[in-house]
Amino acid sequence: MSENQQIIANEYYHDGVVRFLVVCSMLWAVLGMGAGVYVAAELIWPEIDFGQFWLSFGRLRPLHTNAIIFGFGVSALMATAFYSVQRTCHVPLPTLRLAWVTAMLWQICVLSGGLSLLAGMNSGKEYAELEWPFDIAIAIVWISFGVVFFSTIACRRIKPIYISNWFYGGLIIVIAMLHVVNSLVMPATLLKSYPVYAGAQDAIVQWWYGHNAVGFLLTGGFLGMLYYFLPKQADRPIWSYKLSVVAFWSFTYAYIWAGPHHLHYNSIPDWVQNLGMVMSLILLAPSWATMINGIMTVSSASEKLRTDPALKFIVLSLAFYGLATFEGPMMAIKSVNAVSHFTDWTIGHVHSGALGWNALIVFGTFYYLVPRLVDAKLYSVRLANIHFWLALAGTMLYVLSMWGAGVSQGLLWLSLDEFGEPSFSFKDIMASMPPYYMLRLLGGFTFFLGTLLMIFNLVMTMKGRPTVRVRPPKITATGEAQ
Amino acid sequence: MNGTRTNTDTGPLLLRVLFRPKETFEDLSRAEPSPYRIFFKYLVWFALLPPMFAYIGGSRYGWDLGAANPLILAEIQLRIVSMLYFFVLLTAFVSTAFASQWMSETYGARKSLGVHMAMVTILAVPMTVGSVVHLYPHVFINLLVFIPVLIWAMYLLYVGLPVALNIEPEKGMLMASSLVGWLLVGFVTLLGVTVALWTEGLGPSIGA
Repeated sequence: MSENQQIIANEYYHDGVVRFLVVCSMLWAVLGMGAGVYVAAELIWPEIDFGQFWLSFGRLRPLHTNAIIFGFGVSALMATAFYSVQRTCHVPLPTLRLAWVTAMLWQICVLSGGLSLLAGMNSGKEYAELEWPFDIAIAIVWISFGVVFFSTIACRRIKPIYISNWFYGGLIIVIAMLHVVNSLVMPATLLKSYPVYAGAQDAIVQWWYGHNAVGFLLTGGFLGMLYYFLPKQADRPIWSYKLSVVAFWSFTYAYIWAGPHHLHYNSIPDWVQNLGMVMSLILLAPSWATMINGIMTVSSASEKLRTDPALKFIVLSLAFYGLATFEGPMMAIKSVNAVSHFTDWTIGHVHSGALGWNALIVFGTFYYLVPRLVDAKLYSVRLANIHFWLALAGTMLYVLSMWGAGVSQGLLWLSLDEFGEPSFSFKDIMASMPPYYMLRLLGGFTFFLGTLLMIFNLVMTMKGRPTVRVRPPKITATGEAQ
Repeated sequence: MNGTRTNTDTGPLLLRVLFRPKETFEDLSRAEPSPYRIFFKYLVWFALLPPMFAYIGGSRYGWDLGAANPLILAEIQLRIVSMLYFFVLLTAFVSTAFASQWMSETYGARKSLGVHMAMVTILAVPMTVGSVVHLYPHVFINLLVFIPVLIWAMYLLYVGLPVALNIEPEKGMLMASSLVGWLLVGFVTLLGVTVALWTEGLGPSIGA
């Protein structure tokens, strides 16, 4: 079939699947953030598990992280990847049916995986808790995601591959590699397995996976989102395209080595720890290159801030991206890590990234995307503005309370008495934490409240409206889009 | 207050920022203060108060980290820590003024260092007032007081910056966010450097 015939056969961009994934992402946000608020409360009042195993911290916490990362995060990534790859390639998804199958099977994987976690099935690997049957299902769905994405790139009608697609492509390839290698296990029963790696090797593989899941999914994937939606919202090209390409390759090269900083002072070789530390520090350069690129793009379009509530979220997400990508390398320095590791400082760091960067950029993107998907104005700009302040306040309360708690914990349990014994018992230190945890609960709840406002706002925007049908632009003989 | 008075009046700046912040920024938008004058007349003293309160609180009651007994530092250690606190604050204020002056080019704002120094001085007021809580050196209580203090300072920054530097509110919002980013990174750096020095054995001993 010739190129022209292909366009005629698939005349419109396929945005129905994008809309489905956006709605799923919002549902997972409610479940994941709700579970987060609940486990934060359990750390103050442990009795609210009511003696039910499935309500205990140990089972709800992985549900919280899985629902947020794989439910809310990946659904948003799939939605925006499908939306932007069509527009940057000027071609509808050539494998629409597979795109729908991917979108729906992914939801089934996350839902059934979440239920298995509540039932107590857990491989014990952080951010890879699901047991082997789920791992196989995830690998298959992920490969089909790759087929949909790369087949669209292969059919593109313009030669250059836009930078957002490099980041989404990096996400798909690297996560597939990480997931497969880290999930290699010997099944003992249908619901229990053991890793093929032993001891320290298992730990190194696990944190090679764990840190790069943060790197290529929570950072790289979302950078793809940033590079498409920020210039769109600002109505300006990216400040320096060359810088974005340099940032992509240096980011991809540097990130893959940084995992061992999760294992400082552990039973892995010292040189591996040092390598992880040095590569983490180098990582600051590409991270900040992107931040500067983003800030300079918005700087030339400040008048947009007057009318567009979505852009504010993206500006703020860039500030938190800058903070989190600075704090991370700093915490990878061994002498800082000696205090910060195993304390709530780490939890605060993770949330300055997860709330301040990931969630805010998704919110900003959804406020831009949803009205365009149904060709309507946002239901309430005022609600979006209130959401902005709730999200900022929630994130700041969370981060500040965890800084206070984490630094106190680190200092207290490293201080020794005159006999070289710990001055303070673990129990005493933890008994002094509830005030900080109350503040964290308040921060998390405030953030959650803002998310609920957004969902109401977007549901009201979509209600009763069909998904728009947008044609790819016609390409003239000179290669210009019309 | 009438329009003929400027921000360099000897009037109690602290009270004016507390009760008439907008007018203070409007005054600044018309003035061209000398950076040296602002530095020696206000900024040094604002940087001196928090360490002073911390010293008094620390020596009388000791820092309470929430678990077991408060940590009473030796007199000499307390003096060194308080002096370092003073120099860190001073460095933070001055470097923020320079950072703000540097950013003014990107956002088309006024460039004279005195204006930026004066703006930072106004933003330092909430912290100076809030630092009274150091007299009761309990970490959590201090955190609890400093959260509204930070919100107040951020409010002053977002509202006052476009007025003082004569730029549109939208550009002001971007520049203020960039400055918040600068300050957050500065704070985290300080946290990291302090902790690293402490684990390397260069800090005060806090064992029982």
